[in-house]
Amino acid sequence: MNKAFAEIDPIYFEYAQKYLGRFMPITREELIDLLQYCEIRKFDKRTILVKEGEIDNYLNLVVKGLVRKYLPVKKSECILQLATEGHVVQSEISYLTRTPSLVVLETLEPTILVSLTYDKMEEALDKFPKGERLGRLILSGMFIKKDESRYNRLLKSTRERFFEYIEHHPHMLQRVSQKYLASYLHIKPETFSRLKAIMTKRKK
Amino acid sequence: MFEQIRKFIDQHIELSDEEFQTLASKFHPVSFDKKTKVVEIGDITTTIYFVIKGITRRYFYRGKQEVITHLVRENGIMGSVISFLTGEPSRYILETIEPVTALAISKQDLEGLFLSDKKWEKFGRKILTSFFLQIEYRNLDNIRFSTKERFINFMKQNPDLVMRVPQKHLASYLEIQPETFSRLKHLMVKEK
Repeated sequence: MNKAFAEIDPIYFEYAQKYLGRFMPITREELIDLLQYCEIRKFDKRTILVKEGEIDNYLNLVVKGLVRKYLPVKKSECILQLATEGHVVQSEISYLTRTPSLVVLETLEPTILVSLTYDKMEEALDKFPKGERLGRLILSGMFIKKDESRYNRLLKSTRERFFEYIEHHPHMLQRVSQKYLASYLHIKPETFSRLKAIMTKRKK
Repeated sequence: MFEQIRKFIDQHIELSDEEFQTLASKFHPVSFDKKTKVVEIGDITTTIYFVIKGITRRYFYRGKQEVITHLVRENGIMGSVISFLTGEPSRYILETIEPVTALAISKQDLEGLFLSDKKWEKFGRKILTSFFLQIEYRNLDNIRFSTKERFINFMKQNPDLVMRVPQKHLASYLEIQPETFSRLKHLMVKEK
Protein backbone atom coordinates (compact mmCIF):
# COMPACT_ATOMS: atom_id res chain seq x y z
CA MET A 1 0.00 0.00 0.00
CA ASN A 2 2.80 2.42 0.93
CA LYS A 3 4.51 1.86 -2.34
CA ALA A 4 1.30 2.23 -4.28
CA PHE A 5 0.75 5.62 -2.68
CA ALA A 6 4.26 6.75 -3.51
CA GLU A 7 3.46 6.15 -7.14
CA ILE A 8 0.05 7.71 -7.33
CA ASP A 9 -0.93 10.85 -9.08
CA PRO A 10 -0.10 13.91 -6.92
CA ILE A 11 -3.53 15.26 -7.71
CA TYR A 12 -5.01 12.66 -5.31
CA PHE A 13 -2.94 14.19 -2.53
CA GLU A 14 -4.18 17.59 -3.50
CA TYR A 15 -7.84 16.56 -3.31
CA ALA A 16 -7.29 14.82 0.02
CA GLN A 17 -5.41 17.80 1.44
CA LYS A 18 -8.07 20.21 0.23
CA TYR A 19 -10.85 18.13 1.74
CA LEU A 20 -9.17 17.60 5.11
CA GLY A 21 -7.75 21.12 5.20
CA ARG A 22 -11.30 22.41 5.54
CA PHE A 23 -11.41 20.87 9.00
CA MET A 24 -7.90 21.42 10.30
CA PRO A 25 -4.42 22.19 8.97
CA ILE A 26 -2.77 19.01 7.68
CA THR A 27 0.91 18.71 6.86
CA ARG A 28 2.13 16.60 3.96
CA GLU A 29 3.64 14.08 6.40
CA GLU A 30 0.34 13.75 8.26
CA LEU A 31 -1.47 13.31 4.99
CA ILE A 32 0.87 10.53 3.88
CA ASP A 33 0.36 8.90 7.27
CA LEU A 34 -3.43 9.15 6.93
CA LEU A 35 -3.49 7.86 3.38
CA GLN A 36 -1.88 4.61 4.60
CA TYR A 37 -5.30 3.74 6.00
CA CYS A 38 -6.98 4.25 2.63
CA GLU A 39 -7.17 2.26 -0.57
CA ILE A 40 -7.55 3.35 -4.17
CA ARG A 41 -10.49 1.86 -6.02
CA LYS A 42 -11.17 2.11 -9.75
CA PHE A 43 -14.50 1.50 -11.44
CA ASP A 44 -15.97 1.53 -14.95
CA LYS A 45 -18.88 3.80 -15.65
CA ARG A 46 -22.31 2.52 -14.69
CA THR A 47 -21.00 0.39 -11.83
CA ILE A 48 -23.18 -0.02 -8.77
CA LEU A 49 -20.97 0.67 -5.74
CA VAL A 50 -23.62 0.12 -3.07
CA LYS A 51 -26.92 -1.69 -3.55
CA GLU A 52 -30.09 -1.01 -1.62
CA GLY A 53 -30.01 -3.24 1.47
CA GLU A 54 -26.24 -3.68 1.46
CA ILE A 55 -24.04 -2.28 4.24
CA ASP A 56 -21.80 0.45 2.86
CA ASN A 57 -18.31 -0.17 4.13
CA TYR A 58 -16.57 2.81 2.53
CA LEU A 59 -16.08 6.52 2.94
CA ASN A 60 -15.04 7.70 -0.53
CA LEU A 61 -13.26 10.76 -1.84
CA VAL A 62 -13.79 11.10 -5.59
CA VAL A 63 -10.49 11.90 -7.29
CA LYS A 64 -11.71 11.22 -10.80
CA GLY A 65 -15.13 10.66 -12.30
CA LEU A 66 -18.68 11.03 -11.10
CA VAL A 67 -20.87 9.11 -8.67
CA ARG A 68 -24.58 9.53 -8.23
CA LYS A 69 -26.37 8.68 -5.02
CA TYR A 70 -30.10 8.05 -5.21
CA LEU A 71 -33.00 6.91 -3.10
CA PRO A 72 -35.33 4.42 -4.81
CA VAL A 73 -38.91 5.57 -4.28
CA LYS A 74 -41.68 3.20 -5.36
CA LYS A 75 -41.08 2.79 -9.10
CA SER A 76 -39.02 5.92 -9.39
CA GLU A 77 -35.87 7.34 -7.81
CA CYS A 78 -34.68 10.59 -6.32
CA ILE A 79 -31.08 11.71 -6.81
CA LEU A 80 -29.53 13.00 -3.59
CA GLN A 81 -26.01 13.75 -4.70
CA LEU A 82 -23.90 14.08 -7.84
CA ALA A 83 -20.34 13.76 -6.56
CA THR A 84 -17.42 14.86 -8.72
CA GLU A 85 -13.69 15.37 -8.13
CA GLY A 86 -12.98 16.54 -4.58
CA HIS A 87 -16.36 15.48 -3.20
CA VAL A 88 -16.97 12.84 -0.56
CA VAL A 89 -19.72 10.33 -1.23
CA GLN A 90 -21.10 7.36 0.69
CA SER A 91 -24.32 5.97 2.13
CA GLU A 92 -23.77 7.88 5.35
CA ILE A 93 -26.41 6.30 7.57
CA SER A 94 -25.39 2.80 6.51
CA TYR A 95 -21.69 3.50 7.07
CA LEU A 96 -22.15 5.18 10.43
CA THR A 97 -24.69 2.76 11.88
CA ARG A 98 -23.65 -0.45 10.09
CA THR A 99 -27.18 -1.01 8.81
CA PRO A 100 -28.47 -1.90 5.31
CA SER A 101 -28.34 1.06 2.95
CA LEU A 102 -31.53 2.83 1.90
CA VAL A 103 -29.71 4.51 -0.96
CA VAL A 104 -27.83 3.32 -4.05
CA LEU A 105 -24.43 4.55 -5.26
CA GLU A 106 -23.59 4.27 -8.95
CA THR A 107 -20.75 5.62 -11.09
CA LEU A 108 -21.80 7.60 -14.16
CA GLU A 109 -18.26 7.96 -15.54
CA PRO A 110 -15.10 5.86 -15.13
CA THR A 111 -14.27 6.69 -11.53
CA ILE A 112 -11.33 6.58 -9.11
CA LEU A 113 -11.96 6.78 -5.38
CA VAL A 114 -9.70 7.10 -2.36
CA SER A 115 -11.64 4.97 0.12
CA LEU A 116 -11.56 4.35 3.85
CA THR A 117 -13.27 1.26 5.28
CA TYR A 118 -15.16 1.50 8.55
CA ASP A 119 -12.55 -0.64 10.36
CA LYS A 120 -9.68 1.44 9.04
CA MET A 121 -11.50 4.59 10.09
CA GLU A 122 -11.77 3.23 13.64
CA GLU A 123 -8.08 2.38 13.54
CA ALA A 124 -7.16 5.86 12.28
CA LEU A 125 -9.33 7.55 14.91
CA ASP A 126 -7.40 5.66 17.55
CA LYS A 127 -3.85 5.65 16.20
CA PHE A 128 -3.46 8.84 14.20
CA PRO A 129 -2.35 11.50 16.71
CA LYS A 130 -5.12 13.96 15.91
CA GLY A 131 -7.51 11.23 14.76
CA GLU A 132 -10.33 11.85 17.19
CA ARG A 133 -10.14 15.59 16.68
CA LEU A 134 -10.26 15.20 12.91
CA GLY A 135 -13.11 12.73 13.26
CA ARG A 136 -15.15 15.15 15.31
CA LEU A 137 -14.47 18.04 12.95
CA ILE A 138 -15.42 15.97 9.89
CA LEU A 139 -18.71 14.94 11.50
CA SER A 140 -19.31 18.54 12.47
CA GLY A 141 -18.71 19.58 8.84
CA MET A 142 -21.02 16.85 7.52
CA PHE A 143 -23.76 17.96 9.90
CA ILE A 144 -23.40 21.65 9.05
CA LYS A 145 -23.62 20.84 5.35
CA LYS A 146 -26.79 18.78 5.79
CA ASP A 147 -28.41 21.51 7.82
CA GLU A 148 -27.47 24.09 5.22
CA SER A 149 -28.90 22.11 2.32
CA ARG A 150 -32.11 21.52 4.24
CA TYR A 151 -32.35 25.22 5.04
CA ASN A 152 -31.84 26.13 1.38
CA ARG A 153 -34.36 23.60 0.20
CA LEU A 154 -36.99 25.01 2.58
CA LEU A 155 -36.13 28.65 1.92
CA LYS A 156 -35.57 28.86 -1.80
CA SER A 157 -37.85 28.57 -4.79
CA THR A 158 -37.32 26.06 -7.60
CA ARG A 159 -36.13 28.84 -9.83
CA GLU A 160 -33.59 30.13 -7.32
CA ARG A 161 -32.24 26.63 -6.71
CA PHE A 162 -31.90 26.01 -10.45
CA PHE A 163 -30.01 29.22 -11.19
CA GLU A 164 -27.74 28.91 -8.17
CA TYR A 165 -26.83 25.34 -9.00
CA ILE A 166 -26.09 26.03 -12.66
CA GLU A 167 -24.06 29.09 -11.76
CA HIS A 168 -21.91 27.15 -9.31
CA HIS A 169 -21.70 23.96 -11.36
CA PRO A 170 -21.76 25.05 -15.03
CA HIS A 171 -19.85 21.95 -16.18
CA MET A 172 -22.52 19.61 -14.85
CA LEU A 173 -24.86 20.34 -17.76
CA GLN A 174 -22.27 18.68 -19.99
CA ARG A 175 -21.50 15.79 -17.68
CA VAL A 176 -24.93 14.67 -16.52
CA SER A 177 -28.21 14.08 -18.30
CA GLN A 178 -30.90 16.69 -17.79
CA LYS A 179 -33.17 14.06 -16.29
CA TYR A 180 -30.69 13.44 -13.47
CA LEU A 181 -30.07 17.12 -12.79
CA ALA A 182 -33.81 17.70 -12.60
CA SER A 183 -34.20 14.84 -10.13
CA TYR A 184 -31.31 16.16 -8.03
CA LEU A 185 -32.82 19.64 -7.87
CA HIS A 186 -36.35 18.30 -7.19
CA ILE A 187 -37.57 19.94 -10.38
CA LYS A 188 -39.96 18.42 -12.91
CA PRO A 189 -38.17 17.63 -16.20
CA GLU A 190 -40.50 20.03 -18.08
CA THR A 191 -39.75 22.84 -15.63
CA PHE A 192 -36.05 22.11 -15.96
CA SER A 193 -36.21 22.49 -19.75
CA ARG A 194 -38.16 25.72 -19.41
CA LEU A 195 -35.65 27.18 -16.92
CA LYS A 196 -32.77 26.11 -19.12
CA ALA A 197 -34.36 27.92 -22.07
CA ILE A 198 -34.67 31.07 -19.95
CA MET A 199 -31.02 30.74 -18.98
CA THR A 200 -29.87 30.35 -22.60
CA LYS A 201 -31.86 33.45 -23.60
CA ARG A 202 -30.33 35.48 -20.78
CA LYS A 203 -26.86 34.62 -21.92
CA LYS A 204 -27.45 35.93 -25.46
CA MET B 1 -31.33 16.96 37.04
CA PHE B 2 -27.91 15.44 36.53
CA GLU B 3 -29.31 11.91 36.44
CA GLN B 4 -31.15 12.84 33.26
CA ILE B 5 -28.02 14.07 31.53
CA ARG B 6 -26.06 11.05 32.76
CA LYS B 7 -28.60 8.77 31.10
CA PHE B 8 -28.34 10.77 27.88
CA ILE B 9 -24.54 10.61 27.88
CA ASP B 10 -24.48 6.88 28.63
CA GLN B 11 -26.27 6.36 25.33
CA HIS B 12 -23.31 7.89 23.51
CA ILE B 13 -20.17 7.07 25.48
CA GLU B 14 -18.98 5.21 28.59
CA LEU B 15 -17.74 7.55 31.30
CA SER B 16 -16.36 6.84 34.75
CA ASP B 17 -18.04 8.66 37.66
CA GLU B 18 -15.05 10.94 37.88
CA GLU B 19 -15.21 11.78 34.17
CA PHE B 20 -18.88 12.45 34.44
CA GLN B 21 -18.23 14.84 37.34
CA THR B 22 -15.72 16.72 35.19
CA LEU B 23 -18.35 17.13 32.50
CA ALA B 24 -21.21 17.89 34.89
CA SER B 25 -19.19 20.67 36.55
CA LYS B 26 -19.23 22.56 33.23
CA PHE B 27 -23.03 22.67 33.10
CA HIS B 28 -25.15 25.17 34.97
CA PRO B 29 -28.92 25.25 35.39
CA VAL B 30 -31.00 27.89 33.60
CA SER B 31 -34.71 28.47 33.10
CA PHE B 32 -36.85 30.36 30.61
CA ASP B 33 -40.50 31.39 30.61
CA LYS B 34 -42.75 30.11 27.89
CA LYS B 35 -42.51 31.94 24.56
CA THR B 36 -39.03 33.25 25.32
CA LYS B 37 -36.72 33.82 22.40
CA VAL B 38 -33.52 32.21 23.63
CA VAL B 39 -31.71 32.92 20.36
CA GLU B 40 -32.65 35.52 17.74
CA ILE B 41 -31.66 35.64 14.07
CA GLY B 42 -28.21 37.24 13.83
CA ASP B 43 -27.08 36.21 17.33
CA ILE B 44 -23.77 34.42 17.58
CA THR B 45 -24.49 31.57 19.97
CA THR B 46 -21.88 30.39 22.42
CA THR B 47 -24.18 28.27 24.60
CA ILE B 48 -26.13 25.07 24.05
CA TYR B 49 -28.58 23.45 26.39
CA PHE B 50 -29.64 20.03 27.54
CA VAL B 51 -33.39 20.18 28.21
CA ILE B 52 -34.49 18.91 31.62
CA LYS B 53 -38.10 19.99 31.31
CA GLY B 54 -40.15 21.81 28.71
CA ILE B 55 -40.23 22.15 24.97
CA THR B 56 -38.79 24.51 22.37
CA ARG B 57 -39.00 25.11 18.66
CA ARG B 58 -36.39 26.33 16.22
CA TYR B 59 -37.50 28.17 13.09
CA PHE B 60 -36.71 30.73 10.43
CA TYR B 61 -38.84 32.95 8.22
CA ARG B 62 -39.67 32.35 4.56
CA GLY B 63 -41.25 35.69 3.75
CA LYS B 64 -43.70 36.15 6.60
CA GLN B 65 -44.13 32.46 7.17
CA GLU B 66 -42.45 30.60 10.01
CA VAL B 67 -40.70 27.41 8.97
CA ILE B 68 -40.12 25.12 11.95
CA THR B 69 -37.15 22.81 11.57
CA HIS B 70 -36.81 21.46 15.11
CA LEU B 71 -38.91 20.62 18.13
CA VAL B 72 -36.85 19.72 21.17
CA ARG B 73 -38.20 18.43 24.45
CA GLU B 74 -36.88 16.66 27.58
CA ASN B 75 -33.50 14.96 27.16
CA GLY B 76 -32.75 16.69 23.88
CA ILE B 77 -30.16 19.31 22.96
CA MET B 78 -31.55 22.74 22.17
CA GLY B 79 -29.65 25.60 20.65
CA SER B 80 -28.83 27.22 17.38
CA VAL B 81 -26.33 24.44 16.91
CA ILE B 82 -24.93 25.56 13.56
CA SER B 83 -24.11 29.03 14.88
CA PHE B 84 -22.60 27.38 17.96
CA LEU B 85 -20.37 25.20 15.77
CA THR B 86 -19.39 27.73 13.11
CA GLY B 87 -19.30 30.94 15.15
CA GLU B 88 -21.45 32.57 12.48
CA PRO B 89 -24.69 34.53 13.13
CA SER B 90 -27.72 32.32 13.69
CA ARG B 91 -30.15 31.83 10.81
CA TYR B 92 -32.70 30.49 13.24
CA ILE B 93 -34.81 31.66 16.14
CA LEU B 94 -34.91 29.41 19.18
CA GLU B 95 -38.09 29.98 21.16
CA THR B 96 -39.63 28.13 24.09
CA ILE B 97 -43.17 26.79 23.74
CA GLU B 98 -43.52 25.76 27.40
CA PRO B 99 -41.43 27.05 30.32
CA VAL B 100 -38.03 25.38 30.04
CA THR B 101 -35.52 24.19 32.62
CA ALA B 102 -32.19 23.25 31.12
CA LEU B 103 -28.50 22.70 31.74
CA ALA B 104 -26.29 25.09 29.81
CA ILE B 105 -22.72 24.60 28.62
CA SER B 106 -20.53 27.21 26.95
CA LYS B 107 -18.53 26.71 23.80
CA GLN B 108 -15.39 27.69 25.69
CA ASP B 109 -15.87 24.99 28.33
CA LEU B 110 -16.72 22.38 25.74
CA GLU B 111 -13.65 23.20 23.66
CA GLY B 112 -11.55 23.11 26.81
CA LEU B 113 -12.72 19.56 27.37
CA PHE B 114 -11.95 18.62 23.75
CA LEU B 115 -8.40 19.87 24.15
CA SER B 116 -7.87 18.16 27.50
CA ASP B 117 -8.38 14.55 26.38
CA LYS B 118 -9.27 12.76 23.17
CA LYS B 119 -11.98 10.91 25.04
CA TRP B 120 -13.98 14.17 24.91
CA GLU B 121 -13.32 14.54 21.20
CA LYS B 122 -14.88 11.12 20.78
CA PHE B 123 -17.83 12.19 22.91
CA GLY B 124 -18.25 15.26 20.67
CA ARG B 125 -18.11 13.09 17.56
CA LYS B 126 -20.75 10.71 18.92
CA ILE B 127 -23.15 13.55 19.69
CA LEU B 128 -22.55 15.13 16.27
CA THR B 129 -23.09 11.74 14.63
CA SER B 130 -26.49 11.52 16.31
CA PHE B 131 -27.36 15.05 15.08
CA PHE B 132 -26.25 14.09 11.60
CA LEU B 133 -28.27 10.85 11.57
CA GLN B 134 -31.37 12.65 12.79
CA ILE B 135 -31.31 15.20 9.98
CA GLU B 136 -30.41 12.62 7.32
CA TYR B 137 -33.20 10.23 8.36
CA ARG B 138 -35.62 13.15 8.16
CA ASN B 139 -34.36 14.05 4.69
CA LEU B 140 -34.81 10.51 3.41
CA ASP B 141 -38.16 10.02 5.13
CA ASN B 142 -39.48 13.23 3.56
CA ILE B 143 -38.71 11.76 0.16
CA ARG B 144 -39.65 8.12 0.59
CA PHE B 145 -42.88 8.52 2.57
CA SER B 146 -46.11 10.19 1.53
CA THR B 147 -47.56 13.04 3.57
CA LYS B 148 -50.04 10.64 5.12
CA GLU B 149 -47.33 8.12 6.03
CA ARG B 150 -45.16 10.82 7.56
CA PHE B 151 -48.07 12.11 9.58
CA ILE B 152 -48.94 8.67 10.93
CA ASN B 153 -45.31 7.77 11.70
CA PHE B 154 -44.83 11.01 13.56
CA MET B 155 -48.00 10.63 15.63
CA LYS B 156 -47.08 7.08 16.57
CA GLN B 157 -43.57 8.04 17.62
CA ASN B 158 -44.49 11.31 19.36
CA PRO B 159 -47.96 11.03 20.88
CA ASP B 160 -46.95 13.50 23.62
CA LEU B 161 -46.09 16.26 21.15
CA VAL B 162 -49.63 16.26 19.77
CA MET B 163 -50.83 17.29 23.21
CA ARG B 164 -48.09 19.82 23.89
CA VAL B 165 -47.45 21.59 20.61
CA PRO B 166 -49.97 23.77 18.73
CA GLN B 167 -51.22 22.15 15.54
CA LYS B 168 -49.87 24.90 13.27
CA HIS B 169 -46.37 24.29 14.64
CA LEU B 170 -46.65 20.54 14.11
CA ALA B 171 -47.87 21.08 10.55
CA SER B 172 -44.94 23.39 9.81
CA TYR B 173 -42.47 20.94 11.32
CA LEU B 174 -43.88 18.10 9.21
CA GLU B 175 -43.96 20.28 6.07
CA ILE B 176 -47.68 19.68 5.75
CA GLN B 177 -50.28 22.32 4.85
CA PRO B 178 -52.41 23.21 7.93
CA GLU B 179 -55.61 22.14 6.10
CA THR B 180 -54.08 18.80 5.16
CA PHE B 181 -52.94 18.38 8.74
CA SER B 182 -56.48 18.87 10.09
CA ARG B 183 -57.89 16.42 7.58
CA LEU B 184 -55.28 13.79 8.47
CA LYS B 185 -55.84 14.25 12.19
CA HIS B 186 -59.53 13.60 11.72
CA LEU B 187 -58.66 10.48 9.76
CA MET B 188 -56.42 9.14 12.49
CA VAL B 189 -59.05 9.51 15.18
CA LYS B 190 -61.30 7.34 13.00
CA GLU B 191 -58.64 4.68 12.58
CA LYS B 192 -58.51 4.19 16.32
